[in-house]
Amino acid sequence: MLSALRAAQNRDGGWGYAGGSSWTEPTVYALLALRAEPGSSQAVERGLAWLRGARRQDGGWAPHPAVDQSTWVTALVALLPPESTWDAPAQALEWLLRQTGSESAVAGRLRSWLLGGRPDYERRHAGWPWFPGAASWIAPTALTILALQKLQRRSADRRIEERVEAARKFLMSRVCRDGGWNHGASRALGYETDSYPETTGMALLALDGVAFPGLSKALARAGRHLEQCRSAQASSWLELGLLAHGKPAPQPKGPGGLCRSTMDTALCLLAEKALRGNNLFLG
Amino acid sequence: MPLLSRRETLTGLGALALGGCSPQPRPGSEPLVSILRAPGYTQDLYDSVRRLLLEHRLDVRGKRILLKPNLVEFDPSTTINTHVLLVHAALEAFRSLGASAVQIAEGPGHRRLTLDLADAAGYFETIPGFEGVFTDLNLDEVRQVKLARPFSKLRSLFLPQTALACDLLVSMPKMKTHHWVGATLAMKNLFGLVPGAVYGWPKNILHWAGIHECIADLHRTFPSHFSIVDGIVGMEGNGPVQGTPKPAGVIVAGRDPAAVDATCCRIMGLDPAKIHYLKLAETRDQTREECVRQIGEAIAGVRTPFDLIPQLRWVGAS
Repeated sequence: MLSALRAAQNRDGGWGYAGGSSWTEPTVYALLALRAEPGSSQAVERGLAWLRGARRQDGGWAPHPAVDQSTWVTALVALLPPESTWDAPAQALEWLLRQTGSESAVAGRLRSWLLGGRPDYERRHAGWPWFPGAASWIAPTALTILALQKLQRRSADRRIEERVEAARKFLMSRVCRDGGWNHGASRALGYETDSYPETTGMALLALDGVAFPGLSKALARAGRHLEQCRSAQASSWLELGLLAHGKPAPQPKGPGGLCRSTMDTALCLLAEKALRGNNLFLG
Repeated sequence: MPLLSRRETLTGLGALALGGCSPQPRPGSEPLVSILRAPGYTQDLYDSVRRLLLEHRLDVRGKRILLKPNLVEFDPSTTINTHVLLVHAALEAFRSLGASAVQIAEGPGHRRLTLDLADAAGYFETIPGFEGVFTDLNLDEVRQVKLARPFSKLRSLFLPQTALACDLLVSMPKMKTHHWVGATLAMKNLFGLVPGAVYGWPKNILHWAGIHECIADLHRTFPSHFSIVDGIVGMEGNGPVQGTPKPAGVIVAGRDPAAVDATCCRIMGLDPAKIHYLKLAETRDQTREECVRQIGEAIAGVRTPFDLIPQLRWVGAS
């Protein structure tokens, strides 16, 4: 898988989702997976150079060079460890702290109050949106928590502590009836919804070290998801989430999933590393 | 109910000044909509879809066709996704009519594992060489497109090259109720063109910019359009995800998505005049039954009222 990942690197140094031009998201996951692997130093250096060149003036990163807007992928860049010549996480920090889901901002809460009705969620806890100006959702919130926790471990910052605490509450407020997480709408118009494997794994990973009332149920749900999972990427997130809470990942009973893309391959490698005690999202 | 925008107010005043009625369409120029009875997902669909395209005299020779089904969830036992047999029938029909290329593409709104999802929905098994003809629109190359006279708050959208480059976009939705907008049909299906890799899963920026308005904007951005709605078994109740199967036994098709959607609404027992995005997209009274040339089955003969959750009752036909 390592050699397949190296072979998928574009000439400009980045990675595409499944071939094609370079995008920030698959580039970061490929770099995380290849970093410190023998024979990968050149590929990593070229990848980092691509990312360095993609930083925007506002301090964030766009998902693709054709997109003139910094988005949630900035959190992914902040997951990379600082290099001797480039401290990507520190550069991403201020942009990340400026972002919040529109529903928890004052204007969003006022809008909700004016529209009346009973909101499906507690709106006080701020998470992160996929795209500025939209609401908070599970995946960007979970990934930003992981990025900020890495920064917090390097140097304590009260602002980070407050945002991470609020974001964890956001995750806990969006647990589905079955104990896991979906994209972030555990209720819609008062109707309960069910969880997805991939977001359940991500949320559990971001809640590493947090004991909350629904944890046992969430872990049990993640285990059941994994047994029946038909996606390599989703299985990897579930393994990473379960391992973060010290739970061995059960063997899938279903057909499993094929690695069809850069993301699938990189996340499989990252889950394997976590299985060997090196969870790069937490270290 | 949404407040009237300045555009809607001006449009309404203009219509009143003209006596509350648009000029009558020239006889024969009304949008043509087919209703085809199809009791199940059988091999008959291959012939039915081909005849349907011939009925609409679509000249697709040498053209690049993009089929856009609705893929939402993994569970193959639900009726949430456009049935693979209908999509394959369309692929074969367009090929047999001389299209130079027929691609399938989709960008699901909630789940980002599109190929795994298509696999679970039976697309790999049923469509030979599926991966070679399929594009995940969530992860496709993108280009910024300025929206001409947008209805929504958006001024531009990044859109997938595969969709922008095709000669004919064929929207192939499932006939479903939708808890936010009333019904999800050919026009709402275009949300799947908006790339998740840019806007996320869900593509929530479209909700904040106005769901109805964004549907109308996408409709205007992709004018070369044909629609084939899978109403063989649709979804009623709390659609588009948590509803229950509703056999309606029809395929509805045509070149004018607003007219197709309005016809579907009438079959489902919904009032198309109450669906805001249809009114926004309307250019020649397509939501009025008398302004559509219906062929095949009559609406009365296939009318199958869909169950509505209490929050959606406002959209029901009175």
